[in-house]
Amino acid sequence: MRDAYLVGAGQSAYGAFPEESYRSLFRTAFDAAVDSVPDEFDADEIDEAFIGTLGVGGRQLGLSGPAVTEHVGLDGVPCTRVENACAASGFAVRQAVQAVKSGMADVALAGGFEVMTDTSSDATKYWLGVSGETEWERLSGTTFSGVYAQMASAHMNEYGTTREQLSRVAVKNHANGAKNPHAQLGFECTLADAQSAPVVADPLNLYHCCPTSDGAACALIVGEDVVDDYTDDPIRVAGVGAGSDSVGLFQRDTYTGVPASRRAAETAYEMADIDPADLDFAEVHDCFAIAELLAYEDLGFCEPGDAGDLIESGATELGGDLPVNTSGGLKSKGHPIGATGAGQVVEAFKQLSGKAGDRQVETPTRGLTHNVGGSGGAAVVHVFEKQQEVSAR
Amino acid sequence: MTAVTAVGAYTPRFRISAEAFEAAWGHFQAAGISEKAVPAADEDALTMGYEAAIRALEAAELEGTDVDWLAFATSTPPVAEGDLTARLGAMLAVSESATRHVFTGSTRAGTRAIWAGVDAIDANASGATALVVTADAPVGHPDGELDHAAGAGAAALVLEPDGPAHIADRAEFARPYPGTRFRNTGDDETQGLGVTQYDRRAFTQTIGGAVAELEREPDPEAAVIQAPDGKLPYRAAGAAGVDTDDIQAAATVHDLGDLGAASVPVSLAAALAAGTGSILAVSYGSGAGADAFALETAGDVPARIDLEGEDTLSYAEYLRQRGVVTTGPPSGGGAYVSVPSWQRSIPQRYRLEAGRCPDCGALSFPPTGACDGCGTLDAAESVELAGTGTVEAVTTISQGGAPPEFASHQSRSGDYAAAIVALDAAADDRDRDGDENRNGNGNGNETAGANTNGDTATPRTVSVPAMGTDAAPDAFAVGDRVETTIRRIYTQEGVTRYGFKIRPQTP
Repeated sequence: MRDAYLVGAGQSAYGAFPEESYRSLFRTAFDAAVDSVPDEFDADEIDEAFIGTLGVGGRQLGLSGPAVTEHVGLDGVPCTRVENACAASGFAVRQAVQAVKSGMADVALAGGFEVMTDTSSDATKYWLGVSGETEWERLSGTTFSGVYAQMASAHMNEYGTTREQLSRVAVKNHANGAKNPHAQLGFECTLADAQSAPVVADPLNLYHCCPTSDGAACALIVGEDVVDDYTDDPIRVAGVGAGSDSVGLFQRDTYTGVPASRRAAETAYEMADIDPADLDFAEVHDCFAIAELLAYEDLGFCEPGDAGDLIESGATELGGDLPVNTSGGLKSKGHPIGATGAGQVVEAFKQLSGKAGDRQVETPTRGLTHNVGGSGGAAVVHVFEKQQEVSAR
Repeated sequence: MTAVTAVGAYTPRFRISAEAFEAAWGHFQAAGISEKAVPAADEDALTMGYEAAIRALEAAELEGTDVDWLAFATSTPPVAEGDLTARLGAMLAVSESATRHVFTGSTRAGTRAIWAGVDAIDANASGATALVVTADAPVGHPDGELDHAAGAGAAALVLEPDGPAHIADRAEFARPYPGTRFRNTGDDETQGLGVTQYDRRAFTQTIGGAVAELEREPDPEAAVIQAPDGKLPYRAAGAAGVDTDDIQAAATVHDLGDLGAASVPVSLAAALAAGTGSILAVSYGSGAGADAFALETAGDVPARIDLEGEDTLSYAEYLRQRGVVTTGPPSGGGAYVSVPSWQRSIPQRYRLEAGRCPDCGALSFPPTGACDGCGTLDAAESVELAGTGTVEAVTTISQGGAPPEFASHQSRSGDYAAAIVALDAAADDRDRDGDENRNGNGNGNETAGANTNGDTATPRTVSVPAMGTDAAPDAFAVGDRVETTIRRIYTQEGVTRYGFKIRPQTP
């Protein structure tokens, strides 16, 4: 199969935007993606579109993909809505890569959007819960904060992970998000702040939980035959992996890790023919602080049980051995569910293009994105690799 | 002749004192009550009745399937229309073809149910087993005598043709007394006109009338008299032909409050459990009517009586638990479990019916879909779990962490525990041979204490999510032993869904 390349990616700011619609947010992201392509890019060249959204609030649940692609002038372009909860647009990117690799499309658009702040807090919670296991897990009185808190309790019990280590995830990601103009909560926080916030679901407090967000993100994936039309510095989609699992945590093999993430990472590393040590940065799914720590272990950044030590070591901070969530992550940048996976790809694109501003990782070659649906019912991992010399491949 | 062959009684864990009312109101209007039982936010007459019933069956060493005749009596049914015995019977695993009755509309309903049970056993003396379940938690206006007195509790009696406590005599009496305690159709709160002398006359006259109809003049060791408060029963001593000491000997009202239709059954169960030789039991239902029973005991009545309180509430906490000062559920949204889909899961929610894989022996819960152990799609064999287990993962859900369906529960009960629990297979199922030492739902989860301590070959646990109840949330920690009970889960579209929750295991 031929290679696929990431030639452009852009996003709207994440936050609460009562003056914007899901369509206008998508338009902003689409324009930013098109503008980010180094050489000229004509939207008419898009052969296929994959759009991730959950549909929080109940807006346009059916045909929600065409509803936004039509809005940006992609009339007639085949468009499929992808739904995998919080991993919707991570899987949309995967679909775009598949379409390009298969030869069915030369240029594919992968995007996502969500508007979460225009409903009452109660209505929002109804929607946040829809990706949990509905009949048993939810009706034991949990939303995702509760389920991730259960995972945290198991991890703390098994490995001695501490509340302070959880809070350090928030401190790090806010420090990064403060450098990202698109971040929803773009302010720094102290360890004391992150340890003293109100409890949501013990051991998780407010600073261990991502916000609800409005936002959209888009990425443009093209085939190797046409990549030279768009850039002289191609970024190859070196690895793609995905996995799934039981929707409910109680039905999984383990509570101290996300098996779907492990599978996705193994597949992606194998395809990219790399080890985790070869990565220069990673955008991981930190919907809750414990989720980032689990990701360290599931993605092989450290051994199972060592994530608490890894965050404490500073290795995952900007300037560390493996900066994680330079964008601010879901915690600080925000988490508009359907946009999140594509938004991670936006950060990877910026880092590998050297356009990440104050949070730029020094000359990165390889970055990873990791997007999880629900509490681990689905996960997708991408490895992006900057091609130093195309002819050397 | 019909006999009581076992009894069970239950009260919620919460108590509130007369002093707490005095601190809040400046006075406490319920005479003769020093403390009373308060139902938790997830309890009602049905769940309390279940608690009493499982205790009575345990004492009787019977299974639900042994029950031929089931009655449920309360003056505060969770629904005004809708047969609650179908759900109660399913919770207890009573046969679907057993005879069922609901008795309500009066605080006399509990003894009416006993009466009907006696009729049923007398009419069919060929070894039939009747289970009478009575439970109540009266509700009045917060600034009223009735609400101040209102307690909560339940009792269940097993009736059979022969046994240690014979019902030797019975009689009833009724005379119209409108305007005594009543609740009009559509109202939530019971009220009374409060015409003191008139109310007392209705009480003593009907009680006296019923006792006078007994064939023999009673001379009991203890007299169980309906107790709307802690004083009224003693005023009926003369009419009932007993001493106030006899009444005091069996009184529960002073510590539990007005138990409504369960008032006489709870005190009767306690008196039988205490080994009282002869008992006169007389109920009163406003309106007005009374039932009188004379019991003669010869031998111990098997009993499991749990009438001790554990947690004392302030008056503000009392109002919260009762839902007086909280709002109802928010309007609906995304996630939704339809009533028909809930109904299909009742065997799991009430009786912990799991599946055992015919190929690899792994347990699964709920028992649907591919086997969690080996992935086979072959239908699982239905097995009931033991109702005990070990906490594998747990959180405390605070404000903002609850799904909207549970928002009103949380505002009433406060923070609650939500856990994943490795539930044990039933003992007889555990002993079977299996292919492999593996636990259900694929949980080779290293955090679960119960998952590593076995030496039998059969999978012994299956993981399920469950809400904590009956204890503060910090009473649940990873590795702790728990047991299941049945409580209100949530109410949506006006339909209350009941199902299992977990509480710390009783020793």
